Amino acid sequence: MSIWESLKVAMSSIWGHKIRSILTMLGIIIGVGAVIIIVAIGEGAKNQIADDMFSTDENEIQLYYEQIFLEDDTEMMWVEEPEITDEDLAVLREVPGVQSVLGINQGWGMMVHNEEQSDMTITGVDEGYFAAKNIEMLEGRPFLARDNDSMNRVILIDSVTREKFFSDGEDVIGEIVEVSDNPYKVVGVYKSTIPEELLQYDDFASGEMLMPRALVSMMFGNREIESVSVIAESPEIVSETGQLTADALTEQIAPEDGMYISNDFTQYEEELNSYLTIITLFIGSIAGISLLVGGIGVMNIMLVSVTERTREIGLRKALGATRGRILLQFLIESVTLTSLGGLIGIGFAVAATFVASQLLPFEATISPLVVLIGFCFSAFIGIIFGILPANKASKLSPIEALRYE
Amino acid sequence: MKLSDIKKTYGTGGLMVPVLHGIDLEIEEGEFIAIMGPSGSGKSTLMNIIGFLDTPSSGNYELNSEQTGRVKQRELARLRNEHIGFVFQQFFLMPRLNALKNVESPLIYAGVPKRERRERARQMLEKVGLSDRMTHLPNELSGGQKQRVAIARALVNHPSIILADEPTGALDSKTSEQIMKLLVELNEEGRTVIIVTHEEEVASYTNRIITLHDGLITDDRRNLS
Ligand SMILES: Nc1ncnc2c1ncn2[C@@H]1O[C@H](COP(=O)(O)OP(=O)(O)OP(=O)(O)O)[C@@H](O)[C@H]1O
Ligand SMILES: [Mg+2]
Repeated sequence: MSIWESLKVAMSSIWGHKIRSILTMLGIIIGVGAVIIIVAIGEGAKNQIADDMFSTDENEIQLYYEQIFLEDDTEMMWVEEPEITDEDLAVLREVPGVQSVLGINQGWGMMVHNEEQSDMTITGVDEGYFAAKNIEMLEGRPFLARDNDSMNRVILIDSVTREKFFSDGEDVIGEIVEVSDNPYKVVGVYKSTIPEELLQYDDFASGEMLMPRALVSMMFGNREIESVSVIAESPEIVSETGQLTADALTEQIAPEDGMYISNDFTQYEEELNSYLTIITLFIGSIAGISLLVGGIGVMNIMLVSVTERTREIGLRKALGATRGRILLQFLIESVTLTSLGGLIGIGFAVAATFVASQLLPFEATISPLVVLIGFCFSAFIGIIFGILPANKASKLSPIEALRYE
Repeated sequence: MKLSDIKKTYGTGGLMVPVLHGIDLEIEEGEFIAIMGPSGSGKSTLMNIIGFLDTPSSGNYELNSEQTGRVKQRELARLRNEHIGFVFQQFFLMPRLNALKNVESPLIYAGVPKRERRERARQMLEKVGLSDRMTHLPNELSGGQKQRVAIARALVNHPSIILADEPTGALDSKTSEQIMKLLVELNEEGRTVIIVTHEEEVASYTNRIITLHDGLITDDRRNLS
């Protein structure tokens, strides 16, 4: 008897006991379905985190100074951060994997112009900033080396600021604007780098502006290089490059009470992912228990089926069926039962994942591999839990079986 | 076929039930034989041994000069499939399969391709006069019709021996007559037919009547009528 023939016999016997078959398959349906749903949601969450928090096309790292507190310090003393100079930055540019290094500082000021006023974030940059950060100039010019050297009182506004303070046709280049009661000359307009979704918040609604770093330092009393931004050659090496440059800076400056560190998000990402994996595995193993219970249910029903069909087995043997044939037939029957359960479970999981994706803030993704594994596993359960009943059937003696009342 | 000193004991250890005490029997090809005897005398046991459903505890059984004493399970299945057609008192048809599919089933185990199976099963059902009942399920057939389906199933593999254990036991006398006429016909075509029966009338259709008593042959006579 061919496999196909056995499959048809199996299907007709499953169809012949619809309710019993469905109840038997339930454990498998729930188990396979649950595993696939949980893995899909877990994967979706991971992808979302990767996309959102640690966008992988980011190749910029900030270096921070971290003070080290000694344990025997009775009082915690905040010490001044060490000064960083352009020579220090030049050293960092030699570190492998570094594309560029930027020294940056920050100021805040009230901008008043054309009867509008708003608190503005001002970033102090040097001439290298524009190429390194791909700043797109819309009007005028970027900063030049001499703007920093001679502390020219010049300012760049972004497209958002231009829209807020100036009318469309108005010429802004050469305009004098007032920031915190001091006049500055606008020399250019650049395309805003504020993400679209943040523009609705007050802090970002008026846009941002750039000033020469040395000027910010003078006007706002900051150190000239407050923070160091390192741009790596590619996103893949961003984590190592951050580490290397932070160490290089610590070595270069040799501060007494602290060290430089990089804001390495990939480390957090890995941690979070491993938590998610543990949760997925935990719930997955609960679903696995459901599969085990389902498998035992299948075994039970197959044993009942063997007893019920004792006479049929005897007859088939009298007609020339070998032990192997009978074994195969019952094995195919249990595998068909569990695979069918697996398929139904997969169907439910796909539907549930679709619904879950609508309700959850991220998209749950079913990977074909998980579906394949789920299906193969359900078939495998059919083999494991079908062996015992099938073996019992194949060992029946034909006369005993035919005598069976 | 030759049986010499066939003994059969059921059970092991303390509870031994000797059923056949030494059967010597020679049957030529093409004979039509009835086995008679009281209930419990071992008729069915003997039939099962002849049909390779059971193996003797001791003794020799030769079929076509071939020893069948110590063959494996798998080989017994093949011998049953190739040489023997069984007809049972309770018909034993598969309830979910129609007449045609029931008749086909031995051919499945013989590895005959589907199309040929269909054709041969159809021919056999025609031969037993059931060409108009091919797609009926067993519970849609009368007792006589069921037994004819069973006979068609026994014939489909072209076996040389038909074994029928009380084939008319569950049928009325008129239907019994039809079944016996069919068996006579099969015998006249050259097949060896062996039946077990309690009824003299049924036995009268055969050429040779063997009587069993407590596991021994007590009478073996030619029926000349
Ligand atoms: N599996 C078994 N275990 C123990 N004893 C058995 C077994 N099968 C048959 N017997 C015994 O063997 C004896 C012969 O049984 P068998 O079925 O051959 O009788 P029979 O001549 O066919 O009887 P009947 O005319 O009632 O069918 C009986 O006493 C029966 O109880
Ligand atoms: Mg009997």
